[in-house]
Amino acid sequence: MRRALARSAAKTVKFILRILGRGATTLPGKVALRIDPAIISKEAEGKFIITVTGTNGKTTTSHMISEMISSFDGYEVINNISGANLASGIATTLICEKKKDSKKLIYVLETDEAAFAKIAGSLNPKISVVTNLFRDQLDRYGELTHTRDLISSGIGNTTARLIINSDDSLVASLGKGREDRSIFFGMSKDSMKFNNDAYPSRKSVLRASSDAVFCPECKVRYEYRSRSFGHLGDFFCPSCGFKSPENTYSVIYDLKESPSDEGYRFSIDHNGDIRELSLVIPGMHNLYNTCAAVSAVTEMLKLSGETDVFEKACEASSKVKPAFGRMEKIPLQDNKKLCILLVKNPAGLDRSLSFVSEAKDAKALMFLLNSNTADGKDVSWIWDVDFESKVTSFPEKIYVSGERYGDMLLRVNYSGVDTEKIEYAPMNEAVDLLKKAISECEEGGCVYVLPNYTAMLDLRGKLVNELGIKDFWK
Amino acid sequence: MDNVSLNIGHFYPDLLNLYGDRGNVLALYTRAKRRGIDVNIREITIGDTLDPSSVDIAFLGGGQDNEQNILKDDLVRSKGPVIKEMIESGKVFLCICGGYQMLGRYYLEHNGNRLECLGAIDIYTEGKKERFIQDTIYEIELSDGKKVKVAGFENHSGRTYLGDTVKPFMKVIRGAGNNGEDGYEGARYKNCFCTYSHGSFLPKNAAVTDLLLETALRNKYGEDYELPYLSSEAEDLALRQALEYLNG
Repeated sequence: MRRALARSAAKTVKFILRILGRGATTLPGKVALRIDPAIISKEAEGKFIITVTGTNGKTTTSHMISEMISSFDGYEVINNISGANLASGIATTLICEKKKDSKKLIYVLETDEAAFAKIAGSLNPKISVVTNLFRDQLDRYGELTHTRDLISSGIGNTTARLIINSDDSLVASLGKGREDRSIFFGMSKDSMKFNNDAYPSRKSVLRASSDAVFCPECKVRYEYRSRSFGHLGDFFCPSCGFKSPENTYSVIYDLKESPSDEGYRFSIDHNGDIRELSLVIPGMHNLYNTCAAVSAVTEMLKLSGETDVFEKACEASSKVKPAFGRMEKIPLQDNKKLCILLVKNPAGLDRSLSFVSEAKDAKALMFLLNSNTADGKDVSWIWDVDFESKVTSFPEKIYVSGERYGDMLLRVNYSGVDTEKIEYAPMNEAVDLLKKAISECEEGGCVYVLPNYTAMLDLRGKLVNELGIKDFWK
Repeated sequence: MDNVSLNIGHFYPDLLNLYGDRGNVLALYTRAKRRGIDVNIREITIGDTLDPSSVDIAFLGGGQDNEQNILKDDLVRSKGPVIKEMIESGKVFLCICGGYQMLGRYYLEHNGNRLECLGAIDIYTEGKKERFIQDTIYEIELSDGKKVKVAGFENHSGRTYLGDTVKPFMKVIRGAGNNGEDGYEGARYKNCFCTYSHGSFLPKNAAVTDLLLETALRNKYGEDYELPYLSSEAEDLALRQALEYLNG
């Protein structure tokens, strides 16, 4: 009775919002939850749900999983949009989104870390992916170990198969005591070692601020046989022996070529079945996201009683298209391109800087820094990132804007770039600055723009109006 | 003077590295290096022995609770006596947030639990439930008596109170400061400078960076040492823009 009332209220709210021409991604669920606080578990019952959580890569991984499953005959996907990953957005998705009944329906739900703790039990997903845990707007989310504990308590309320990152000590520890349902993905340990030896990373004047350096139980420093980036790698605790678990899905890679280039070739090893893939969404971090997606889809197919499951998942991964505006290069005139990389936290900025400094087509780099509530009010985080080891590979042309352009300008300057070589403007002139960057960009080159959240939202609206490009970031 | 060198001792960089505190070390490094000074950054962490002569400026940042608990024994028991000596002898220290609190006498947790700290400076801290999280503006008086505005960002639940031997570092213009009551921010004891301010603190506030550099180099090369002139155009622009944004 309550459920019926909650459902119809949610649908009515959605209908009205649509008539008003407004987005209806969270309010319907909010209303439904008010009427029936148990609505999520009632709606989730009997559904095949895959959740994706973690501080970085949630949206990309969810997107890949959704695209891959949608490409299979007989399967359909319902997913929430990236901005609606709290309880209200998930309730909205479960109640209001519909597909034809004839096909097998899979729900792919990107879930905020804190929201996951609260609703994982109600959702009781069949598969739960945890991508990684990096520091993320600590003024909003609190300490990283706390976030890890939240996810752990959420998982404890489910019977889900866990797809977890073996190279992230915080995430890998979620598998402790849950060995029977934990499936690990990550870089092949041999491959990581080979790459560390063959292509040593550049030394920086000052190391980046790192997370999870110590074993939380023994308070002893983790040692690493090899590393990929940040605190991800083949770690072990010399005291308790906890170590990066063996993978069921392992990425075999060679950094002779750069994963920042499109079509980068790598392989995934699943219990000795090794298949070569092409990296559809570039960036070293997307090796992890792709592997997580292939793992989740393979396990979904297994649970659904299919055959040749790994082969099918690998094939599907090569057909994924980047979400519009996320790592996708937007074509402009004169064969120029625009690529927008949202950066919300130090790990994201670090990866994007790495990506841009390796990308062969990078001819201009633009930073946009805001400090509104959704960004985190504190801009200090830009100093956690190691610009210093990458600055020599930055494009010649650097542009800075945003409501906090002064802070970002100084950040770039302190990495070793003369201020005279950086063009900057306040946020209300950001679009003009971007137009200038595009016009100064050489033919065939790409302008990379790194905004944080509200700067991206602001820029997006203006770009659609002024550059006439299709709306992105749905 | 030829061959001027500066050794920055970065304490527990693997544990105390919250809210961009790394930027403070980078600021000291950058403004010394741009003056042609030979700069060496030494990481000093758990288990390392501390040689006071190898450090001209010591930096301690803030950390997450979990991380601060890991290093507390090493700081208080192993390195504590040497750090106290260094501070008493006038060595330059910059301590931010957690680093500031840990140098004090004790930290009284919100639940009444008393955590003994290093006791290198006469301050104590009481933890409260409500956190001060906001942009901040302070006023600081330089060695020549000039008063300048500096900008930062605070994020702390501790309220810090200063003993008689310790002077406040800055005056609060905007923000809560040490305890939200007395209008002061941070502490100075001899050449040990403490503040709650992240931001990062030093990069935008070149006057403070230079104050620390000059004090450290005078310690090392004598009171006649003059810090060579260096423009602070980029830093001042960042400071001006931050102040404009905050007053916006």
